[in-house]
Amino acid sequence: MAILLTDVQIAALLQEPKRLKAGFRKSLRPRTKQGHTEADLHVTGDGGSTFYLRIRQSTTNPLDFSVILSHELPNTNRTVNLRRYNGKSHEHANKLEGTRFYDFHVHTATQRYQAEGKHEEGYAEPTDRYATSDEALECMLRECGFVEEETTAPAGGQIRLIL
Amino acid sequence: MDVEHVQSLLREKVTAEVRLFQEGIGRFRVLTPFCFDDGDSLAIVLLKRGEMWRLSDEGHTMMHLTYWLDEGNLRRGTRSTLIENALSAFSVSQSDGVLFIDADESQLGDALFSFVQALLKITDVTYLSQERVRSTFLDDFRSFLSARVLEGRRTFDWHDPKRDPERKYVVDCRINGMAKPIFVFALSNDDKVRDATIGILQFEKWGLPFHSLAIYENQEDVNRKVVARFSDVCEKQFSSLSAGERIERYLAESMDVA
Repeated sequence: MAILLTDVQIAALLQEPKRLKAGFRKSLRPRTKQGHTEADLHVTGDGGSTFYLRIRQSTTNPLDFSVILSHELPNTNRTVNLRRYNGKSHEHANKLEGTRFYDFHVHTATQRYQAEGKHEEGYAEPTDRYATSDEALECMLRECGFVEEETTAPAGGQIRLIL
Repeated sequence: MDVEHVQSLLREKVTAEVRLFQEGIGRFRVLTPFCFDDGDSLAIVLLKRGEMWRLSDEGHTMMHLTYWLDEGNLRRGTRSTLIENALSAFSVSQSDGVLFIDADESQLGDALFSFVQALLKITDVTYLSQERVRSTFLDDFRSFLSARVLEGRRTFDWHDPKRDPERKYVVDCRINGMAKPIFVFALSNDDKVRDATIGILQFEKWGLPFHSLAIYENQEDVNRKVVARFSDVCEKQFSSLSAGERIERYLAESMDVA
């Protein structure tokens, strides 16, 4: 099977600094769609990579959400979801490992799933690092190389690493 | 081989794969082995509604598709048709993105099978999303004309500033310096051809003097009816930029007339 991204590339994309303007959360105002809300934000990484931060939230079930970090492959219209922080609204099965759980979980794009002809983000791990979509967003910001500008940036454009 | 035994094994296995978790009064999470390509199971909730039961996805299926697809694309075109067909085939209803099926207790099993089949059928729309290399056609089109038409005689993305200040009717390139300018359209897909058809008709309505010329990215990729309608209003068309020499000759002759 064609490998869209190797594990090394995925790790590099996750680590690539992604700078967010102070108050970027206002840009993530949810828009109502069919049975859910959507919010999307385009972010260019320091290395020039194109990323999208997406939030999907069910209008019926507050535990049904997904906070997503997507990467657009250069010169194509194809995006790969590098990480997906899901709520607890369905079971997840890791097809290669044969494991299954019903919990909050984080999907990660992996080379081995692509190599086996599975969905690139088919691997997920249960987590207790968040319990709401807001917490999932903060979790993703901490774990995926996001850097938020200070609200009142001092001279020199000081920025704050999200840790 | 003991058929009874095999049947019993199968039945046991299948039954064990469907589980219920109570999540409130008259509300149960239905866990099944059926899942999306990414390993996430279908989201199904069983709700008690008076004497009836409702199986609902609470909007999850549509939301799940938007992890990879634009939500607007689910409401129009081929994807919308596929979704409508799946709902109709399995008697599943939809209300504001929430899919559901109602049943009385005796029909609950059949309803679950129908519901699962409908949801799985709907997830097939993701297969319509194919990777495409972003087209360089518009760049090539501009380079082609830039190399053959003097800068002072061409305007890319031209619109009529007086009649159309909102830029509703845009010409990809206007070549002037003749009695009648040439409006050149770069046609990469069905929508562009439709827009060009409407544009030409509008320019005619306004009484603008012009010649029309169209260059397709690949005419064979455009819907035949769309091309047919456009052919009725456009004076000259080339099927692709690969007809470069002919296009060049046509431009040279047209501009010489000036």
